[in-house]
Amino acid sequence: MAAEPAFPLVAVVSSYPLLAEAVEGALEGIAEVRAFPAGQGDTADFLRLLQPAAVVVDSAEEAEAAAEFAREARATLVHVSLREDRLRLLHAGRWQNLSDGSASPERIRSAVAAGIYLRGVRT
Amino acid sequence: MRRTSIVVADAGPIFRAGARHLLGRESDFEVFEATTLPQLSQTLEERAPDIALVDLDLPPQGGVAAVAGLAPLHETRMIVWGFDATPDAVLAAVTAGAKGFLPKEISPAGLIRSLRGVVRGEAPLSRSLATLMVDAVQGLEERDRARERAVTLSTREREVLALVARGARNREIAQALSISEFTVKRHMQNILHKLDLPSRRAAGLFYRSAFESSGVFEMERTA
Repeated sequence: MAAEPAFPLVAVVSSYPLLAEAVEGALEGIAEVRAFPAGQGDTADFLRLLQPAAVVVDSAEEAEAAAEFAREARATLVHVSLREDRLRLLHAGRWQNLSDGSASPERIRSAVAAGIYLRGVRT
Repeated sequence: MRRTSIVVADAGPIFRAGARHLLGRESDFEVFEATTLPQLSQTLEERAPDIALVDLDLPPQGGVAAVAGLAPLHETRMIVWGFDATPDAVLAAVTAGAKGFLPKEISPAGLIRSLRGVVRGEAPLSRSLATLMVDAVQGLEERDRARERAVTLSTREREVLALVARGARNREIAQALSISEFTVKRHMQNILHKLDLPSRRAAGLFYRSAFESSGVFEMERTA
């Protein structure tokens, strides 16, 4: 049997590998971060297999695909628009724009950490 | 071991943090950060880093302008990186003094390899960007050849040709230049003869290739 990860798993599905590096740095000691390339066309199914506690994506297409999984699994989903320097969060099944400030790793950490905590409380 | 110092100049906190986290794992790199041109300038003055990784959109005027202003003043090797690696963007960056251009989609291993290559004097440019650059250089050469041919035209003929390129009819050209339609036709015949072109449409295309240029061309003209 595969060993359970020591920390909750966060999947970063992105065309920009440095996003995963930034998220990994921000979640050090909080979550285990794994990077996956975007645009593979099977994001929702892939996430169902992986069962991460949170997902970070960088495109609207991947956000839409990941939202299917996030709603089913009550996982946190953060969509980072790197070009527009904006963040939105799928919370309670609805997208919520996090409009104050830019898309910093610290804000991603806050969103993901809060989501992981709330998920733990609910389950 | 002497570490390679790098300043990551980028307004986007994600890319700065990503680069810092990635390069921080490597023992041979030391990373500084800047978010604007003034901060980059200050870091170059105070730290004299080996490499500056400059965002194409660095505030306030973009990475190309930043490199053009700073490269002549510092020994730091400047690499531009950006979202949109168009031929013009790559060529503009290199013309401004950048030693290479990297796409922001670059893999962690690719970025490390590229930066180590810069230390050895290599110019980081992916294969796809090298192709774009060759296309851009060839475009400039074609433009130069077209401009050389256009030297034979008189000022009035060039004015007529400019209007033809914008799709104007003879009557409209005559009105715009306060000349008769007959004179416009005569100018048109001369233009086609001098440039050895078969048609009015070809003349319009010629004008666009010679004078309606990219940002790179504009930059060269105003430099």
